[in-house]
Amino acid sequence: MGLSRRDFLKASAAAAAFAAAGAAVLKPGNADAADDKGIKWGKAPCRFCGTGCGVLVGVKNGRIVATKGDPAAPVNKGLNCIKGYFLSKVLYGKDRLTKPLIRKGDKMVEASWDEAMGLIASKFKEAIDKHGPDSVAMYGSGQWTVFEGYAASKLFKGGIGTNNIEVNARLCMASAVTGFMTTFASDEPMGCYDDLDLGDTFFLWGANMAECHPVLFSRMIDNRLKNPNVRIIDFATRHTRTSQMADRYVKFNPQTDLALLNAIAYVIIRDRLYDEAFIKEHVVFKKGKENIGYGLEDKFKFADEPKLITFDEYTNFLKPYTPEYVEKLSGVPAQTIVEMAHLYADRKRKVNSLWTMGFNQHSRGTWVNNLVYNVHLLTGKICRPGENPLSLTGQPSACGTTREVGTFTHRLPADMVVMNPEHRAKAEKIWGIPAGKIPAKPTYNATEMFRALDRGDIKVVWVQVTNPFQSLPNLNRYRTGARKGDGRFVIVSDIYPTRSTELADVILPSASWVEKEGVFGNAERRTHQWFKQVDPPGEAKNDLWQIMELARRLGHGNLFPYKYPEKEIWEEYRKFGDGQGKDLAPYEAYAKTRGLRWPVVNGKETLWRYVEGHDPYVKQGEGIKFYKNKPDHFKAVVWARPFEPAAEVPDKQYPFWLCTGRVLEHWHTGTMTGRVPELKRAYSSAVCEMHPDDAKRLGIKNLQKVRISSRRGTIVLPVDLNGRGKAEKGNIFVAFFDEGKLINELCIDAYCPISGEPDFKKCAVRIEKA
Amino acid sequence: MPISGIVVTCGTGDADAVASRIGTMDGIEVQGVVPGDRIVAVIESDSVDGEVALFSRLHEVDGVQTVRLAYHNFEDME
Repeated sequence: MGLSRRDFLKASAAAAAFAAAGAAVLKPGNADAADDKGIKWGKAPCRFCGTGCGVLVGVKNGRIVATKGDPAAPVNKGLNCIKGYFLSKVLYGKDRLTKPLIRKGDKMVEASWDEAMGLIASKFKEAIDKHGPDSVAMYGSGQWTVFEGYAASKLFKGGIGTNNIEVNARLCMASAVTGFMTTFASDEPMGCYDDLDLGDTFFLWGANMAECHPVLFSRMIDNRLKNPNVRIIDFATRHTRTSQMADRYVKFNPQTDLALLNAIAYVIIRDRLYDEAFIKEHVVFKKGKENIGYGLEDKFKFADEPKLITFDEYTNFLKPYTPEYVEKLSGVPAQTIVEMAHLYADRKRKVNSLWTMGFNQHSRGTWVNNLVYNVHLLTGKICRPGENPLSLTGQPSACGTTREVGTFTHRLPADMVVMNPEHRAKAEKIWGIPAGKIPAKPTYNATEMFRALDRGDIKVVWVQVTNPFQSLPNLNRYRTGARKGDGRFVIVSDIYPTRSTELADVILPSASWVEKEGVFGNAERRTHQWFKQVDPPGEAKNDLWQIMELARRLGHGNLFPYKYPEKEIWEEYRKFGDGQGKDLAPYEAYAKTRGLRWPVVNGKETLWRYVEGHDPYVKQGEGIKFYKNKPDHFKAVVWARPFEPAAEVPDKQYPFWLCTGRVLEHWHTGTMTGRVPELKRAYSSAVCEMHPDDAKRLGIKNLQKVRISSRRGTIVLPVDLNGRGKAEKGNIFVAFFDEGKLINELCIDAYCPISGEPDFKKCAVRIEKA
Repeated sequence: MPISGIVVTCGTGDADAVASRIGTMDGIEVQGVVPGDRIVAVIESDSVDGEVALFSRLHEVDGVQTVRLAYHNFEDME
C-alpha cells in the first residue's frame, strides 16, 4: 500500500470514528477523506450475533474491502464490536468451498450441481418410498435467512409431508421460547434495546455480555457513564470481563439460579414488596408437574399438566426458599439475596433482567425463564419503557427465522403449531396445498433427530448453515451415528470444510451473507433486510436456491412458483402474522430502513408490546394487556417451579462442574473465524479455565496439560489460570470453537423436557495431569 | 496492511490520561479526545490478527470502559 493511500485510509478511519463518536473531525482538511469514491457502500446487518448491529459493507472491484459501523443503524449508531473485524475475512478464507463434492469411498470428489442434486433427490425419493416421509429430515439454523427457513419449512411440511425439520436454535433459544409461550402465550420480548438506555438497574443472569453482546453491554455502560445511579449486577457461575465491569458480581453454584429466583420471590412476598394491584389485574398463578426428567432416554416424551393455583398457594409453595436455605444451596449469602430482592422491587428503580445461554442451555431452562418473569410480574416491573425482562438471542436470526418462521418440528409461522387443526388449515390455505397435508404430530427435537439418525429411523438428513457434528452434546454418539451406513445419507451445505462436512456424503458450497439477498431478525424484534453485494466464489449457490432445486426434483416445484423468490416469499410469509400481533411490513419498507420492530402496523413499528400507547393491539384505556393469552383472560402466568438438581452433578469420581460456552475471538464452532489464520493465532486453541486453588491442590501448573474426562468422553487441554475468564472453585470452563478439541464429546445430552434444549453448562468431569 | 478506526470510552474525567496511555502502544495512533470522555484512535497492523490483539489489549488499559470499531479497511489483504 502506497504511503499516500495509507494516509488517506487512516484519515477515513479517523473520520468515521469521529462521526460515530458524535464529534466533528478535528482536522477539517481531512473531512473529505471520509468519502472514498472507489468504494461502493451497502447496508446489511452484521453476520454474527443476535444483537443485529448495522454494518456498511464496502465493495471495490467485486470484493469486500472495508466495513464500517452503520451510522444510521439505531442498534449500534456507527460502532461495531470486535466481531466487526471478523467480517473482513469470513468470506475469503483460502479453503472456501466452491464446488459440490460427492463421497466416493474415502474421497470427496468434485461434481456438477446437476449430479449432486440428482443424487440427493434420488436418496430422498428412495428413503421416502421405502420408509415413509419421516425417514428424511432437515437441520437448519438461526443463521439461515428468513427466506431459507421459510422455503425449508414449506418443502418439508407442505411438500414432503413431514415435521422432520429442526434447527440449531433448539440448542440455544428453545427454552427462551417455551418460557415466553408458557408465561405470555407469545414468543419474543415485550421490550427492546431502548430499555438499556432508559433503565437504571440491570440484572445479568449467567450472561457474559461484555464478550457475547458487546454492543448492548456498551449501551449499558454508556448509560452508566451518564447516570451514576445505574447499577449492573452480574449473577454468574464464572468471573468474566462482564463481572469486572459490573457493580456487583454475585457468584452462585450451577443450577441454583432456580432456587435464587424463588428466594427473591419469597423475600418480595414476605416483605410485602409486590405490586398487589398489578397482580390482581395482570397475573394468574399456575403449577405444573415436578420431577420431570432429563430427556436422557431415546424417544423421551413429556407433557406438562398445568393447574391454576391461588396467590396463597403460590406463597405456600415458596415457603422452603428462605434466604438461609438458599444460601446453603447456592453459596450466595442470605443477606445478599435479601438485598437483591429489595433492589428488584425498589419502586424508585427501573429494573431489567438480561440473560442468554446460562438460562437457556439448562435442563430446567423453561422453568428458569418462567422464574425470572415471575419476579418482574410480582413487582409489576414489566411492559414499561426502561423496565423489562429481556431475553437476549445468540444467533443473528434465531428470532427472525427459526422462531418467527417456525422451523421446528412442532411449529408453523407466527407462533402457530402443527398440533392445532386451525393453524394447519391456515398454513395449507396460504401454501395452496391440500387439506391434511401437514402432519398433525411433531416428530423429533434436534437431539432426538440425531438419535433417530443413529438408530436408523431417519435415513437422510440435510444440514445447512450449522455444524452439528461439533456442536451437539454427547457428540461421539452422533458422529458415529452419521457414518453407520445402512442407507444413511448426510448432506451438508456450508461455506468451509467443517467437522460436519467431513462426515457428509454430499457437500454443497453455499453463498454467505452479502453474497445473497437476505433478511434476519434480531433479539429486539427488529427485522433487517439486505441486498446481494458480491458474488459467491466458484460455483457456490445460496441455500434458498438449493432448497427450491430439491423441491423441483421431488415434484414440489409448484410450491415455489416465484420470479423474484426473496420478495415473493416475504409477501407470502407475512400473511401468517397479519392481524396476529406479529405483523410485518411490505418488503420495500425493509429495503429502505435499518430494520423495523414488529408488530409493524400502518408502517409504524412497535417498541413496547402489550402496552397502551405503544402497541397498536392495546386499545386506549386498556393499560397493559397480554392479548395473546386469551385462555387466561389476557393475563400473564406466574409459575410455581421448584429447584431440581442438574442431570449430572459432581461426585467423588467426577468432582468438577464443566461449563462450555463461547470466547470473544471466535464465533461458535469457529467455522468462519477459524478460517482466518491470523484470527486463529490470537486464540489458537481451547484451554481449560480453572481456579488456581484447585490447580494447586492437584499439583497442576499454569499452561500445563490436563486430561479432562466425563462419562462420555475425554480430552487433553492446557490449563489457563490467568485468562480473561476465571473459573470458580470446583468449576472449569472450556470454549467450543476449537475443531481440534471437541469439548462437546464430554457434554451430557440431557435436555429441558419442555423445550428440548440441551444443558451445555453443567456436567461432571474429573481432571488429571496429562 | 489493514487499518481501523476505533472509539474508546473512558470513565468520567479519565479520557486525557487514558489517551496518553494508549498513545504509547505500538500500532495505535490517538486522533483526539472528544466530549463524553471518548478517544478516537486509528489501529494499524500487519494483519487482522494484529488488529484484534491490539483491540483486545485496549480493554485491559486502566480507565477504559468500552472499545468499539467504527471503520475497517482491508483492501490489500489477499
